[in-house]
Amino acid sequence: MRARLLLPIAIFLVAIRIGGAALPEQTVWSGLIIASNSPPAEPTPAEITQIEGTLRKLFGYSQFQLIGQATKTLKTGEEDWLAASKYFSLQVDSRGEKADAYVLNLKLFQEQKLLLETKAKLSKASPLVIRGPQVGDGQLVIVLVVQ
Amino acid sequence: MKTFEEKWTAWIDDQLTGRELEEFLASLPDRAAADAEKQSAKKLGSFLRKQAVALSNVDFFSHQLRERLDRESAPARSDRDAVQTGWWTIRRLLWGGITSLAVFALCTVVVLREKTPPSQSQYLTEILTYRVDPTVSPNATISMFQKKEDHVTVLWVEGLQSLPAEYATK
Repeated sequence: MRARLLLPIAIFLVAIRIGGAALPEQTVWSGLIIASNSPPAEPTPAEITQIEGTLRKLFGYSQFQLIGQATKTLKTGEEDWLAASKYFSLQVDSRGEKADAYVLNLKLFQEQKLLLETKAKLSKASPLVIRGPQVGDGQLVIVLVVQ
Repeated sequence: MKTFEEKWTAWIDDQLTGRELEEFLASLPDRAAADAEKQSAKKLGSFLRKQAVALSNVDFFSHQLRERLDRESAPARSDRDAVQTGWWTIRRLLWGGITSLAVFALCTVVVLREKTPPSQSQYLTEILTYRVDPTVSPNATISMFQKKEDHVTVLWVEGLQSLPAEYATK
């Protein structure tokens, strides 16, 4: 009797489990990058290589140094995280998923100063690139990608 | 000293003889009725002797008899049960409900999985709003554009205060 009762329950749980897997978790990578033409001190990080060509075309720089990053797995689509370097920080507040994209509130800080505030709908196949302030002979570039 | 019953049995079996027989016959209140009863007992004894072969295997006979009784009574009983309870007993209804729910959940999941959109969207990222603090960056201007060939959306900020190279520190 108990074994017969367990079978439908097991089917139901498997169905729920598979159903949960039908909504895949997504990872958003956020990076603070210094683009410059200085000789490379270290190889281009793997996270940038997929967008490196686009960044070269956009900004005309050949070298990209990662100074801060964060990788966040979105389970509910409503999470907060911070990608920070010593002087800059990018605060990300995810406000949910709409039409295959995440609605994000972004705030770029230079230490305590709010430089830029924006709201974007980050598509899963389309990176967001933000041109920040000039830093030395390079440029601060912020990149957000759904991986 | 034999009792009356012992003498009666012995008389039926023709075991009484001589004086004992005479005394027993004299003690009978109704001789004709006793003779009739004796004949009847003899007939019964004869009949039982004939049936002795059939009764030699009592267990087998009993089993056969019980089986036959079961066969005769079973259809009547199941018909009666069906009329009283019907096919849809409470337990069957419960099992039917649970099984249907499980199958429904499985089908729903299969359909949902088929309709899940592909992970690679065809839409470009959109900038909904943007703002710079005019007190911090009074000369800043912002523009937004999309590079469709690279599938990239760019927020281009000009006029932010330039910073020394040490700000490129990790």
